[in-house]
Amino acid sequence: MGQRMRAVISGGLAGLCNGFFGGGGGSVLVPCLTKWCHLSQREAFATSVAVILPLCVLSAGIYLWRSDLSLVAALPYLVGGSIGGFLGGRYFKCMNVVWLRKLFGLLLLYGGVRCFL
Amino acid sequence: MTDWVLPLVVGTVTGILSGCGVGGGTLLLVYLTAFAGVDQHQAQGINLLYFLPAAALALPSHWKQGYLAKPLLLPAILSGLLFAALAAWISTGLEVEILRKWFGGFLILIGIHELFVKSKQEPCGNEKNGV
Repeated sequence: MGQRMRAVISGGLAGLCNGFFGGGGGSVLVPCLTKWCHLSQREAFATSVAVILPLCVLSAGIYLWRSDLSLVAALPYLVGGSIGGFLGGRYFKCMNVVWLRKLFGLLLLYGGVRCFL
Repeated sequence: MTDWVLPLVVGTVTGILSGCGVGGGTLLLVYLTAFAGVDQHQAQGINLLYFLPAAALALPSHWKQGYLAKPLLLPAILSGLLFAALAAWISTGLEVEILRKWFGGFLILIGIHELFVKSKQEPCGNEKNGV
């Protein structure tokens, strides 16, 4: 299978998660890009941000239209996200991702289990 | 005022991760649903909106540093848009309780993957130019 076809499938999976769960597309896309499309970790992280951004625009539009999403409640997260996103882009080169991912995994398990309680 | 401070701090921390593509959005979803008690659809919508500035402000750096795999972008984005539209349509029409179970299963799968699948740390600042 060509690299382009792999990108189509990886992007489609990311889109499914992005639309259905309102996030988590990157968590699916990054492993697809590294294991399947043979990108380095950093290329995969950066590329996933670029792929997910337009998907978020579309999904957010559909959520605004079809569910009663409050812009006021979202505003502080938007401001925080702007500051964080800028910093994340700048210090990206020196991020130690291994321990971060372990912590991340634990938090996700906690959140996941909470959904069934 | 205090309603503002915590979301702002949480948004900043997860924004750093989101900017790096390390799952900040997924983490914010966990915070919103498991800690802040926000309704599932609302949480998902907030997360989608939040990612827009976080990603937009991180991208120029990624671009300049040459980390974007440009040939893969267009095919991945086009197919992603199609599936995102379909999935968002279905999701916004689902009962919150059902969606929450799916979401829980999704988090557990990703959590297990992050914990048990080995990822190697690359040396700090290895510059590469696309694919």
